[in-house]
Amino acid sequence: MSNYNVEYTDLQYIGKYMPRKDARDIVTGKCIFLDDFSVPGQLYGRSLRSPHAHARILSINTDKAKALKGVRAVLTDSDLPENWLLGWPPSKRPLDSHLRFVGDCVAYVAADTVEIADEALDLIEVEYEVLPAVFDGIAAARPDAEQLYPGQFAGNEIPGGFPPFQRQGLYWHLQRGDTEAGFAESEYIIEEFMEYNKMPTPLAAEPPQVIIRWDGGLDFHCWATSQGSGVFRQLGSFIIPGSNLVVETFNVGGSFGNKHAMTAQFICGAALSMATKRPVKVAMTKTEQLSAYEMRLGSQMKMKIGVGKDGYLKAVKGFWTVDAGAIGNTTQGQIGVGLGEAQIIGGKCVNWDIDTALMATNRIPAGIARGYGGMELNACLSLLYCRAMEAANIDPVEFYKKNYISAGDRFVWRDGLLWKACDVNYVPAIQAAADKFGWKDAWKGWGKPSWVSPDGKRARGAGCAILGNADLGEDNNECIVRISPDIVGDSCHVVLHMDVAECGQGQRSSLCKMVAEILNVPYENVSTTSPGQGNHNPFALGLCGSRGTITYGRPVCMACEDLRDQLFKLAEPKLEVPPDTMELVNFGVRSKHMPERFVAWKHLIPEMLSLVGYGKHVETFGIPACLVFFLEAEVDLETGQTQILRVLSGSDVGKVIDPKSLESQFHGGIGAATMDSALFEETILDKQTGRNLAFNLIEYKWRPFNMFPKFDTSILETPIPSFQFKAMGVGEITGAGSAPAVMQAIYNATGVHVTEYPATPKVILKALGKI
Amino acid sequence: MDVQSIAMTVNGREYEFSVGTRFGQVPPEETLVETLRRRLELTGAKQSCSEGACGCCTVILNGDAVPSCMMLTVDADGADILTIEGLEDPATGQLDPIQQAFIDAAAFQCGYCTPGIIMALKALLNKNPAPTEKEVDEALSGNYCRCVSHYHVFDAVRDLIGAGKEGE
Ligand code: FES
Ligand code: FES
Repeated sequence: MSNYNVEYTDLQYIGKYMPRKDARDIVTGKCIFLDDFSVPGQLYGRSLRSPHAHARILSINTDKAKALKGVRAVLTDSDLPENWLLGWPPSKRPLDSHLRFVGDCVAYVAADTVEIADEALDLIEVEYEVLPAVFDGIAAARPDAEQLYPGQFAGNEIPGGFPPFQRQGLYWHLQRGDTEAGFAESEYIIEEFMEYNKMPTPLAAEPPQVIIRWDGGLDFHCWATSQGSGVFRQLGSFIIPGSNLVVETFNVGGSFGNKHAMTAQFICGAALSMATKRPVKVAMTKTEQLSAYEMRLGSQMKMKIGVGKDGYLKAVKGFWTVDAGAIGNTTQGQIGVGLGEAQIIGGKCVNWDIDTALMATNRIPAGIARGYGGMELNACLSLLYCRAMEAANIDPVEFYKKNYISAGDRFVWRDGLLWKACDVNYVPAIQAAADKFGWKDAWKGWGKPSWVSPDGKRARGAGCAILGNADLGEDNNECIVRISPDIVGDSCHVVLHMDVAECGQGQRSSLCKMVAEILNVPYENVSTTSPGQGNHNPFALGLCGSRGTITYGRPVCMACEDLRDQLFKLAEPKLEVPPDTMELVNFGVRSKHMPERFVAWKHLIPEMLSLVGYGKHVETFGIPACLVFFLEAEVDLETGQTQILRVLSGSDVGKVIDPKSLESQFHGGIGAATMDSALFEETILDKQTGRNLAFNLIEYKWRPFNMFPKFDTSILETPIPSFQFKAMGVGEITGAGSAPAVMQAIYNATGVHVTEYPATPKVILKALGKI
Repeated sequence: MDVQSIAMTVNGREYEFSVGTRFGQVPPEETLVETLRRRLELTGAKQSCSEGACGCCTVILNGDAVPSCMMLTVDADGADILTIEGLEDPATGQLDPIQQAFIDAAAFQCGYCTPGIIMALKALLNKNPAPTEKEVDEALSGNYCRCVSHYHVFDAVRDLIGAGKEGE
């Protein structure tokens, strides 16, 4: 904590657009992504993947593959140590004789080129025993269901709870208050089933890739397209127990939470590098990314919801089945967050009983994706809340204003502990967004269109959804800020030593703005060390969720204040004024009242050395964020085609750090398998073979440039007690409510409940009774 | 194929390649994006989907924006190719107006798609300096951007040509 209480007003950089530090490199093609980089002597690693959703290997012969010129290693199940296990709890061998999804790894090959490696894969002879497969969480729970992990997970249920998130006790069942009493108080009660189960994918433009170099023992040097080297190191050391990872990252070509640990790619590279004693690059193709990489989790829920006469949520009780696919990738953490987010939306409700089950199925493993469990939960729960609102005939905007969490409300977060919301009130933000969108005119009531074409063939409806999370203060992070006097002249450069990835948010540059602001130096003189950690940066977990603004911003500001305090102290004998009357200006310290008294930093710091400030953030969960999402959709009642006409995304962010980066975060909310997972994005499962038929960018549908709706934002800036600049992040949730908003709009346009995600023309025509 | 050697101009420089399967030769199945990225170390064009669907590998070939993953290098014999690296003035380092407009509008997030988008726009504006909003939309409809930088790209285009989508 600084000794001097400085309020940051009259800001030079914060709140203004500053081009990102890497802007020029990006537009000139000079920016380095992992695929543009190579390590001398590197080989190329590829995986032979299971063609079956569930099978056992009866025999495998790698002789021909090994004999191919240019092949350096071919590895199968028996070549890997017994304690190398994927998943949480550690359960699945990376190369397995028991294969659990189409795309599961059968063998690894390292070769001089990708082409040779691919040729070698074709030469591996495998005989499979094909087993029955199960493709959804509820089916996997049936007593007669095929068992994926016999002797490990009885009834296909993966144990709940994730210890690193829940140090004081594992948590997967939300129980608060007395739901029976809550239902007794309720005037309106609904009980329904809903599912969001097509496992769409965030699908970053840059496929996941790593280069792994074995450095002896269990030491590995990793270059990865990871948005969080802290997560990469942590999960990497879970799957290779005792391993020590140095991780370097580059500009990441999109992640959306989805390119973090890349455990399967890491282990492939690690095993092949140990076998060949050479660095090995493992790069997925787009088809592999779409057919074997981490998807959104599957979500199925039956919920009973009670609403009082007064429009308040009184009780929520039910069961949430989560489909982890073939491997539980710490999905337990997403369940904890999802349960927390349910209470943030229903912040005034004190009666909760939501039990959960995490199921293993023969689908592509689920992983982390923007929205982190809350999005998938809310895709169902938000629609069920709508049914209750409809029963009570309440306008959703009024419901959200009444029920959304505010100062003093309690919620259980993903650590299983009860937290209290800090001083927030989002009613003005919800109302401002509703007004800007024109909700009053667009919403005509439940199941009522806002407009119908004169010929009756097209109808429009409006929808809105709200979402919030409390991850903003999650993780411990630390940094060093170092003032380095220039060799010539009295200026200085300031270096932020912190592991900050760049995957599109512009956080590296935003943090430089904070440094420039507090130390009062030009933005151009501030830089950040290359991202990564293990032996070159202090610890930071990664830019997960929306927490970069606070959990990275606070340490950076603290370190700068630490530097300021040190500089004031060092200047005291020279300026002969009290430190609290000093200011930082022009790379020096000056007396506020006697400006002629000035000393350059360079003359306060021993020659050639630097001055170092340290800052840290310690995890806390008391700040809930809020995002309200409005849209208007038009449904062609003859073809079932839905078009989104306009969107408005609204929030209160405390303080804008960079307006354009923030706006980008709002825009990005509708990418990454959010809004369009209500319209056309899905993995299309062939139930005969268990294959994803949408395995390339032609079959997997995405929104092209000529299909973008009008987009508006409504952003309030009510200072919150977060850190020096009173700001918070919202990127995690900007689109997380968009899918149920689409479904609501379709209902209002058509008057027919459409309950299947995505609402493709076929689904809509079926709901309309036309096919 | 009977081609022994091929020649092409890339960003104003002439290159000649020997075609064959020996070490160092361009094999007949090598795609243009591979040649640009691996041999010439012009890594601005990205290879993302390798099937012509994402536009990340877009370069300008004889005036047209093409996905360089969909063209064999041997078929580019005699071509004049411009990549993202060739856009800024080599002598002064001055950015192409499109590049500057992208910086001013923050028209990228992760930036992986950006070189492809800029090259597709460059080809459009070379042919048609004042395209309509619809023409811009269509010219970019083959460019995948998952971060949703589209709105800021429209801002950049609006700054460049004084027109654009209304209401963003
Ligand atoms: S990589 Fe060429 S179009 Fe996608
Ligand atoms: S900016 Fe990331 S894909 Fe376009």
